[in-house]
Amino acid sequence: MIRIVTLAAFEEGDITHLTRTLYRSFGVGTEYVGDRALPKTAERPDGRFDAVKLLDDAPPVRAFADDKVVYLTDVDLAIPKGPLGEPPAWGFALQGGDRGLVSTFRFAPRGVSESTIEVFRRRLARECTHFVGHLWDLHHCYDPRCAMHPSWSPALSADPEHDLDAFCREKSERRIRLAKT
Amino acid sequence: MRPPGKREREDRREPDPALEGNIASAGELETGDRVVYPNQGVCRVAGLEQKDIAGQRLEFVKMTREEDGASVLVPLQKVPTIGLRRVASADQIEGVFHYLGASYDDPELDWKVRHRDNVERLIAGGVLGVAEVVKGLHSLARLRPLPAKERELYDSSRHLLVSEVAVSLGIPATIAEDYIDYALMPPAGVKLPLKPPPKPVELKGPPWKRKKPVSDEDDLGLDELGLDLGALEGEEPAPEGGEAEPAAEGSESERAAEQTPEAAVKSARPAKSEKKAARAGGEEPRKPAKSALRKPERKAAPRKPEKKPAKGRPAKKVRGGKKR
Repeated sequence: MIRIVTLAAFEEGDITHLTRTLYRSFGVGTEYVGDRALPKTAERPDGRFDAVKLLDDAPPVRAFADDKVVYLTDVDLAIPKGPLGEPPAWGFALQGGDRGLVSTFRFAPRGVSESTIEVFRRRLARECTHFVGHLWDLHHCYDPRCAMHPSWSPALSADPEHDLDAFCREKSERRIRLAKT
Repeated sequence: MRPPGKREREDRREPDPALEGNIASAGELETGDRVVYPNQGVCRVAGLEQKDIAGQRLEFVKMTREEDGASVLVPLQKVPTIGLRRVASADQIEGVFHYLGASYDDPELDWKVRHRDNVERLIAGGVLGVAEVVKGLHSLARLRPLPAKERELYDSSRHLLVSEVAVSLGIPATIAEDYIDYALMPPAGVKLPLKPPPKPVELKGPPWKRKKPVSDEDDLGLDELGLDLGALEGEEPAPEGGEAEPAAEGSESERAAEQTPEAAVKSARPAKSEKKAARAGGEEPRKPAKSALRKPERKAAPRKPEKKPAKGRPAKKVRGGKKR
């Protein structure tokens, strides 16, 4: 089961679209748990939020073995600087773990028109699929049409696909089949 | 006196001192050490263990794979020859990132050579060898989708690289992967602060395994015409479509992907035994081990002189997946 928790205000329609997409992508039940308070302890002096700490401090949710919990937020996330710089953080998840975090901070504005809302929803679904994929032990994929392609890649279109490619889909299905429950 | 058996010859193989951090003897290992077992990932040394096998009392180094806790037993005398090495240092990892970020536009297009190189690099190339495999296949994937078996190899080598970078830098695996992909495909408008990348490890496999430079004269331009020389000579033509490669290479790569630690050791053996024979100089080179990897090359070898030089033909290297 995939459980969605919001740490900011989200439209009900967006969450409904998201649960449907995640169900289609992974074939496991998806439900919206509810809204929780954003842990301020993860805020850095520059106003950004440490993604690793935010996920650590995120309010716990009742879940069972093999459940995956996805927290949605809209704050600017930061990850530690690497040898070549800091990659843009669209979210964070523990590889093969049980909790992930997705931020809409870098998304195109949701707007009020149908088309912009649709783009926003598709992007939200894509990023959630990406980080839930990490929770199922998937790695990044070189195919820009796959949801596991890095979110910042220049090869990615403005309105990228939110489906997994055949390899990633098979791998995730294998992992899900092997899950304890 | 009977000649030394295959097992004895293997046991006498010399360790490859080329790589920094390679474990040269079991004496260097202590309980709790973190080491990298080629193709298996980061393991923690759990200690020595004795077992009775076929009436002999053998001593093993017991290791536990960090990823899933699986136990790995390595015979004590084989420790120097299996490519066991220490987890890469921060300096080595930095070199890996500079290597990944450097431009690379010449992926090997011959899948046989590429596959052998990749398997060998994963075993004997250290962390930079793993990075080479990832980068090479990534570059190739930009030209055309990878066949299924190479896609699996790409995923497993990426997994090995991510785990080693994560362990070495002490960061979560997903962040390590972000760093790797940030170097491989930086966002638009970002210029990476790159330094000259370290030189990749020179593989010391036997000459027939090495990549041969293709001269202009060797190429008949048959690839461009869509002709297969092997098929003309009565060989079974390869099936069309993207699945041709995996079908042909499946037996090799499947074995490599599914090999047990012991099998991984065996796959590394031919290269070293050949190298030793070559080093001996005047000594007559030993017959190469009967390995399934070598058979296709032996068959292919006598066919090469039949290629006639064609003057005025276009250049040999065909990009975009025409050459197999």
